[in-house]
Amino acid sequence: MSDEQFRAEIRGWLQEALTGPFAEAVGTGGEGREHEAHELRREWERHLGRAGWIGLSWPTEYGGRPATLAQQVIFHEEYARAGAPGRLGHMSEQLLGPTLLAFGTPEQKARFLPRITSGEDIWCQGYSEPGAGSDLAGVRTRAVRRGDHYVITGQKVWTSLAHLADWCFVLCRTDPGSTRHAGLSYLLVPMDQPGVTVRPITQLTGTSEFNEVFFDEAVAAVEHRVGAEGEGWKVAMGTLGFERGVSTLGQQIGFRRRLDAVIARAHSNGAWLEPALRDRLVDAYIGLEVMRHSAVRLLASAGEGLSGLEASISKLQWATWNRSLGELAVDVEGAGALLTGPGYELDDAQTHFLFSRANTIYGGSNEIQRNIIAERLLGLPR
Amino acid sequence: MTGSHADPRAVAETSHTEAAEDLAQIRASVAEVLDGQADLRRTHEVMVGEQGYDPLLHELLTAELGLLGLVVPEHLGGLGLDVAAATAVIEELGARLVPGALATSLTAILAARALGPNAEPLLARVVDEQLTLAVALAEDGAGWDLEQTATRATGAGDEWALTGTKTVVAGVEAARVVLVTARNPGGELGVYAVDLAADGVDVRTHMTLDQTRRLSTVHLRGAAASRVDAPGGEGARVLLDHVRAMLALESAAAARACLDLTVDYLKVREQFGRPIGSFQALKHRCADLAVAVAGARATADHLVTTLRTGAATRSHDAALAKLVCADTLMTVAAEAIQLHGGIGFTFEHHAHLFFKRGKSTQLLAGSPTAVRAEVAALAGL
Repeated sequence: MSDEQFRAEIRGWLQEALTGPFAEAVGTGGEGREHEAHELRREWERHLGRAGWIGLSWPTEYGGRPATLAQQVIFHEEYARAGAPGRLGHMSEQLLGPTLLAFGTPEQKARFLPRITSGEDIWCQGYSEPGAGSDLAGVRTRAVRRGDHYVITGQKVWTSLAHLADWCFVLCRTDPGSTRHAGLSYLLVPMDQPGVTVRPITQLTGTSEFNEVFFDEAVAAVEHRVGAEGEGWKVAMGTLGFERGVSTLGQQIGFRRRLDAVIARAHSNGAWLEPALRDRLVDAYIGLEVMRHSAVRLLASAGEGLSGLEASISKLQWATWNRSLGELAVDVEGAGALLTGPGYELDDAQTHFLFSRANTIYGGSNEIQRNIIAERLLGLPR
Repeated sequence: MTGSHADPRAVAETSHTEAAEDLAQIRASVAEVLDGQADLRRTHEVMVGEQGYDPLLHELLTAELGLLGLVVPEHLGGLGLDVAAATAVIEELGARLVPGALATSLTAILAARALGPNAEPLLARVVDEQLTLAVALAEDGAGWDLEQTATRATGAGDEWALTGTKTVVAGVEAARVVLVTARNPGGELGVYAVDLAADGVDVRTHMTLDQTRRLSTVHLRGAAASRVDAPGGEGARVLLDHVRAMLALESAAAARACLDLTVDYLKVREQFGRPIGSFQALKHRCADLAVAVAGARATADHLVTTLRTGAATRSHDAALAKLVCADTLMTVAAEAIQLHGGIGFTFEHHAHLFFKRGKSTQLLAGSPTAVRAEVAALAGL
């Protein structure tokens, strides 16, 4: 199938799918809006899955379909263009799925992957811990093997969508005397069990995407450990490579929609006539063009997938750009941006302004990305 | 010139499927010559010299390596290679800040290719006579605003006479023909070729802030000229877009070279008992520069694709790439001086060459402010 045929197919499907009950889902979810329309978006995941739009490039035996890197980008572009709802299955598909494909046993793949491609299971990521932040090697959550189970005790934090997830992939310390990268294991943990408590964190947006997750003698089957015991670090690093992968190449369209909205607002309220604001808006446009060309260039050189290094450049670019656009969105609005709806209900500009502060922190902060680029691209000494 | 360099004339005969390899080969052979003859130390020597460029190197690259004919169509005596071949050479020259008019010539040739049949006699002359070209667009008061062009062209058919003054023209000191924008009695803007040796042409070359790029004032008083674009076309715009493309490609490559120079230094320079490149404050600045350089590279690559395919976005893409790449070079070069410390502030060190080239690239073919406004208009913002 040509890329253009593929584009026509997904575009046509989205157009039809986003009518009827799913018309209400358009524009819901996404960053700073994860609190919206949970049930409908959960049903949307299943709808996407039934139509075969989850697990592009995955083997067909797990419910995937053959798709090139370019086609995956096209999918994300069209998805954003259509204003389709923010994905609840993002982590399932972009993080856990590729990790299982790379490191999982045949049984694990057969057990978990079809339930991701069908939109049935929602996963969350249990890496970060209090005090650890971007330093993932500071893991203290411990798992003790007892027969055919691990018993897990500890706390994770900044766990996106944990309150909605069915499963969590958790990095645990299985060797009690170990430090740093050694002695960690990667466990798949059901969220629906007595030892798991989820406490939503109220963010500066007043809403909750992130959670604290407490494990108090929660259990995970030994057969649900991905990779060897003690080699969880390697598996976790593999996941992070996927995190900054192909979906960021497709996000340009969504960014352009946001930028266009801010520029349109500037035209309608007169902010465009303010030279300093206009310059910032034009710079935002130029920055987006630079990102777009960078993404195309990455795509042309990527082959199978993106290296972590290319992903770091891309993450630094878009996170910084989006945060600036968030500031522009409220500056264009002027003092009117200071008034919220009842119950601290935020509009698009306010949500963008506040939530985009997270972009440069999560998924490896800007500072972490700069270290990676300096050391691995430029070869500067540690 | 030794026999070890690939001869572009032989390269041209290979099939299209080998185009990428050919391109790499041309780039490599030009790079090899330049590495031997035109490193930054040599640039230093040449720029303070009388002529402002290196005639021997120019001869080597044109007459011997045949670079002027690289993208001239085969039926006009050239090699008929793809746009990318010329842009690769422009990048190699730009990375080393080579003074002279070769990059300008290749730019003028690329523009002439896009101008149509009227430019063919000039392109044939380029190969036959090994013509080095310069491009004269700007005027006092008007800058690069084509609308305000005041130079007059009188005459008809093949016989034209130009009168006016062009300012800040790059590469004239090494060129034999200059492409000039002028307005005919009907008010129409066109592109004309003027032999610099013709009567009524007076060139004054100035000392310049960016010594790697001499700039001249070209006075035309009834100078004989031939028209090289098609009446009713957008020849002047084509010329301006290509000049911007050249500046973008040069400065994207120079920004990369300047970052490499700086990073290499940070790896070996020690203070407080460790290489200063291990300090996070410096690492993070270099990382930001690397991201900027990657972005500039991407806009330059995109522009080459635009020029190859003749896409309608040419003016937009050229303006945007010129803006982004020049600003990136300026940023990288300014940081290079700071990161080198005291040595970076000296005349002997190379950092200032990039810094000054960055400023001349920003200010030529439209200031950042003017080009930013143009980009906004072209993007329909």
